[in-house]
Amino acid sequence: MELDFLSAGFVSALFAIVLIDLVLAGDNALIIGLVARNLPKNTQRKVIFWGTFGAIAVRAVMAILVVYILDLPGFMLAGGLALVWIARKLLTPEEQGAQNHLVKGPATSFAGAIRTIVIADAVMGVDNVLAIGGAATGNVLLIVLGLAISVPIIVWGSQLVIRLVDRFPSIVLLGGAVLAWTGYSMVVREPLLGPWFEGHPATRLVAAILIFSISLAPWYTARMAEQTKPLVVILPGVLVWMLAFEIVASVWTLQMDYLRATETGEYVLEAARWLGWLPLVAAYLWLHERVMLRREHAARS
Amino acid sequence: MLLIRQSNRANNAVRTTSVGGELFVASVVICMILASFGDAVDPALFGEAGLEFAIFDFGGELSVLAMRHWHLLQLLVAGAVLGVGLAVLRVGAAAVVKALRPADRRAEEKVPIRL
Repeated sequence: MELDFLSAGFVSALFAIVLIDLVLAGDNALIIGLVARNLPKNTQRKVIFWGTFGAIAVRAVMAILVVYILDLPGFMLAGGLALVWIARKLLTPEEQGAQNHLVKGPATSFAGAIRTIVIADAVMGVDNVLAIGGAATGNVLLIVLGLAISVPIIVWGSQLVIRLVDRFPSIVLLGGAVLAWTGYSMVVREPLLGPWFEGHPATRLVAAILIFSISLAPWYTARMAEQTKPLVVILPGVLVWMLAFEIVASVWTLQMDYLRATETGEYVLEAARWLGWLPLVAAYLWLHERVMLRREHAARS
Repeated sequence: MLLIRQSNRANNAVRTTSVGGELFVASVVICMILASFGDAVDPALFGEAGLEFAIFDFGGELSVLAMRHWHLLQLLVAGAVLGVGLAVLRVGAAAVVKALRPADRRAEEKVPIRL
């Protein structure tokens, strides 16, 4: 999709990239500090410089790769699904103790320190680069701008970002919603699925609600009462059920429109589509209830 | 590790965010889903009886179809407007409910009557 410089679409995509950079920024300064803490003072300065340089270089290479990879059939869908997972991970609170798993311990040599910093940044930056690639819709200028925004955050901006998200935690929620929206637009832009979505326009709405309900589940689960929490599984489950029937109908060219059904088999299929999920939901609720009761019993004894 | 994990409030954003912030994000998400609703309707369906639909668009369902081409910034502005509207509605509804609520039977005699 071509976006004119400073058009509404361009500015919107740039805003999405800034938001993604803010919420998915990795803590490189902490990792560099942890890795370099046992090295001599002279080597520490070199490690900070070359570590930062290596991290930026790795991010630039990944950004270039993402532009080409997302053009390949199937990768847009995979990227969109990965963004759904990233949005979920972003909104799920993490324990403070689980923070330094990327760094096993302080490095003892210059090469070891640089290697650890670069690998850690590559691991931390994959989600960021993928999300920027998705939000940029293939526009190279936007990807360069996204990189230009994320680099100062890597080098100097960490404290500013922490202060900002600490003051306005809703930025994180908004970031999760924008990631889900980007994931949805990547899934519907997938060249392999394009003709299918054209033929089944209603499935786009189902896909959008499915993606939002999965991505934002940690958010609304926190607001729900214990008895209504199974809805977090049931709603996406029913949407997947409906989508599966659409897919089966187009793969086996079955008649799925109840207004056009004429044979008994078609009516049975329709009944299975609209009512078949009810016994599954009932079985899930029964199982959920049993598990909850068992847990309660175990907690008491 | 993400920078937001360094801040306890941001790490736990689903619980620590303000009511206003949450309402704003929820409104933006509603607008995003409405925009995808515009994507989901085949425009050819309305080609034949476009005027008739436009006249009887009481529920605004057709107006929503225009959102299919909206960008993120437009969705954010729409979300903000929707959020403010919902907040005003909530305050108004709360005032109406409060006015309609009858006084406590035991306090009936103590209701001040101004002449």
